[in-house]
Amino acid sequence: MNIDIDTIIFDVLIPVIKIIVMILFPMIMVMVMLWVERRGIAFLQERLGPNRVGFQGILQPIADTIKMLFKEDIIQRQSDKLIFNIAPVVVLATSLLAFCFIPVGMTMSIGSYNLTFWVAESPVGLLITLGISSLSVLGIVFAGWASNSKYSLLGGLRSVVQLLSYEIPIGLTVLTVVLASGSMNFIDIVNKQNEMGIWFAFMMPVSCVVFWIAAMAECNRSPFDIVEADSELVAGFHTEYSGIKFGYFFMAEYAHMVLVSSLMVVFFFGGGLPIFPNVEFLWFLHYIPGFVWYFIKIMFFLYLFVWIRGTFPRYRFDGLIRLVWKWLVPLSLLNLIVVAIIRMIV
Amino acid sequence: MIIKFLRMFFLVEMIQGMLVTLKYTFSRKATIQYPEEVKQPSERFRGIVRLHRGEDGGPLCIACKICQRTCPQNCFDIEGAKDESGKMRPVRFDWNLERCSFCGLCAEACPTGAIRNSKEFRLSTPDRSKLMFHLSEMYSDYDLQKHFLGEKI
Amino acid sequence: MDSKFLEINMGPQHPSTHGVLNLKLSLDNEVVVKVEPNLGYLHRGMEKLWENRTYAQVVPFTDRLDYFCAISNNLGYVLAVEKLMGLEIPKRAQYIRVILTEIQRIVNHIGWLGFVTNDAGAYYTINFYTFEEREEYLEIFEEYVGARLTINAIRIGGVPFDIDDKLISMIEKALVETEKKIKDIDKIVTRNRIWLHRTKGVGVFSAEDAVQFGLTGPALRASGVKWDIRKDIPYSSYDEFDFDVPTGTAGDIYDRYLVRVEEIKQSMRIIRQAIKNLPSGEIAAKVPKVLKIPEGEIFHSIEAPKGELGFYIKSNGTDKPERVKMKSPSFINMQSLESMCKGNMLADVVVILGSLDVLLGEIDK
Repeated sequence: MNIDIDTIIFDVLIPVIKIIVMILFPMIMVMVMLWVERRGIAFLQERLGPNRVGFQGILQPIADTIKMLFKEDIIQRQSDKLIFNIAPVVVLATSLLAFCFIPVGMTMSIGSYNLTFWVAESPVGLLITLGISSLSVLGIVFAGWASNSKYSLLGGLRSVVQLLSYEIPIGLTVLTVVLASGSMNFIDIVNKQNEMGIWFAFMMPVSCVVFWIAAMAECNRSPFDIVEADSELVAGFHTEYSGIKFGYFFMAEYAHMVLVSSLMVVFFFGGGLPIFPNVEFLWFLHYIPGFVWYFIKIMFFLYLFVWIRGTFPRYRFDGLIRLVWKWLVPLSLLNLIVVAIIRMIV
Repeated sequence: MIIKFLRMFFLVEMIQGMLVTLKYTFSRKATIQYPEEVKQPSERFRGIVRLHRGEDGGPLCIACKICQRTCPQNCFDIEGAKDESGKMRPVRFDWNLERCSFCGLCAEACPTGAIRNSKEFRLSTPDRSKLMFHLSEMYSDYDLQKHFLGEKI
Repeated sequence: MDSKFLEINMGPQHPSTHGVLNLKLSLDNEVVVKVEPNLGYLHRGMEKLWENRTYAQVVPFTDRLDYFCAISNNLGYVLAVEKLMGLEIPKRAQYIRVILTEIQRIVNHIGWLGFVTNDAGAYYTINFYTFEEREEYLEIFEEYVGARLTINAIRIGGVPFDIDDKLISMIEKALVETEKKIKDIDKIVTRNRIWLHRTKGVGVFSAEDAVQFGLTGPALRASGVKWDIRKDIPYSSYDEFDFDVPTGTAGDIYDRYLVRVEEIKQSMRIIRQAIKNLPSGEIAAKVPKVLKIPEGEIFHSIEAPKGELGFYIKSNGTDKPERVKMKSPSFINMQSLESMCKGNMLADVVVILGSLDVLLGEIDK
């Protein structure tokens, strides 16, 4: 067999590095988000938040993680131990796995080699990503069931109800993106936006907003955090978890937020594209590399998560169902029809 | 009706609410960074009770036990005796911080103004026995922080 | 116990039971079938304790009943004692008492605003805004009497200190700040669709039911019953002030919210009038050092922020009361919790409990 150095570098080494980076990226974002959330929500609330550990509290996430690692890992005597232990892993693994198709930047040419910023490319990457990210509900139901606690059980049941609501508008709005771009490949979606010279958000604002609302429900964030609902269910499905297992749920929630923000950026805000990619006099924006654009954009959406959490009360779960089935589903159906008609004409 | 629907459809009140919280994001923060910044207690602050001395340096307390009778929580245990000049002075003045509710009634009742609320509010100690005060520890010139925390500070 | 229903022990360790309250809930899925409040986790034997204290010594204990509005408790007890003695209180002292209790009402209602939005799931934001406001008033209390929470600010016969110009300017500044804050919170909350969804038509209590259950305070007025002891049986010169008693119509949580916000505004009106018309004179009537009250019994009630707060005092001629019985608004309001919660969801129980504004220090005594 003929193995030359180029094959090793380009076919083995770089993909492996990419995989490692794409696993580390959500984890690092979790760290960043911990700080952003705690400081951001503190600033919304007229206070300073953690600012003692490191410069402006920047090392606070590390301190939190260390604390979590050293806490006692309590396993309820009456719990279903196997499922109890598997649940956090399922939730975290599905959240991280979904990242493999996300393009976190544009292709960059280094000499003759085109460096791509995604781990894998698939013509049905969109479907796989949505499928995998929905699987994390399974872990939540596991946790709710296996804890053998009534609060956890209610949290787990609520998560199923939530899944049955938000998945439909997500599917319908993603369909409009697929219609507009003519592909289920993330890279093609981004390239289509580059071709058209406009982000899909400006073309299809309704899809954008509906997707965002449903996406907030998908990652159990306020105002749709009915699964955790700290004021009524104590902590919902992870009431009985402690130590690093709770940390897994915690990381999974934030990784899910990063994922959803990434999807939002890729679908509607042009992935690694600068704003108005085809306008002539904004040529200088192209000198900022794609992953920086991507990062700025997801940071905006991640902050939006925090901002919304700091402002609104929580929906009751019948309210969520009513919102989704009476408003979002008809709206996204209508939107789908409109987009399809326009697509047919143009 | 239509306006109401449009307001609802375009999430007007939600955006309004978010703008208010955004405004507070950039407002002055209320946090007091405690060990560095200490909020000054007011003039009438009812902190821990202290005994005061007169202008001549002698004790003001005449062991009349009015504070002992006034205290709703029975903090005081006072014993008085005549000193060489024939005045009543406390020989034993036990005061229990554990029981004190900082109501300030003793300071209001004191006829000589010997017992007053100080402005000291840092009253934590790792040693429970430190919460029982005796006569020499009750005077206002006694270093409370040293008393509570030992030599560590 | 019916095994058809899911039984949940909510509390005493629960983030939103407002202290140490245990609610035994029976749920049909998430719909509440039965609510059984289980009290007594904060019982300190207050009423028995008072029998071994002199009349003046009881006042600091009343701080610890409803620790969120200590002055109203002080006033309720002190007024009952004064009525039993037949003591005439100087006008200036009465006005200062009105100013203090109305500030306390603002503190309670604005704090409630934070708590109830928190119960509805607004992640502490409004709570922090309102507590920032509460801080201003606590600073006024600290300036006035030297303590912030359990302040013991009213004495039998009057008030311990006079109000000076510095304090008046502090109060006026705080009132202006509160008006601004209320406007901001109004923008966040009042028309917010999630807040409406959580409060409109939830925990509905009709006027007849409210009277039957003896509901008091803002919750009663939200049901449409115009009953405010400040207006109907005036005490402490309340008849000299011009203020409205806000009432609701639906009797749901949303109306309770609106009534409380309006009461804050009315309290501001009262405070401004009291400062403007503050009479000069003594701040305390002459009261003997050792207070011995002739035999007799009395019941006197005031409009505390949480509802009708009554004190029954029986005197046997010594310096200690023979019996003090307290009619606490939280305890009375707690009775109607089950009828309000029935048919609502688990998530509503928390908000309904919050909207009743109960405080365990007052329930368990």
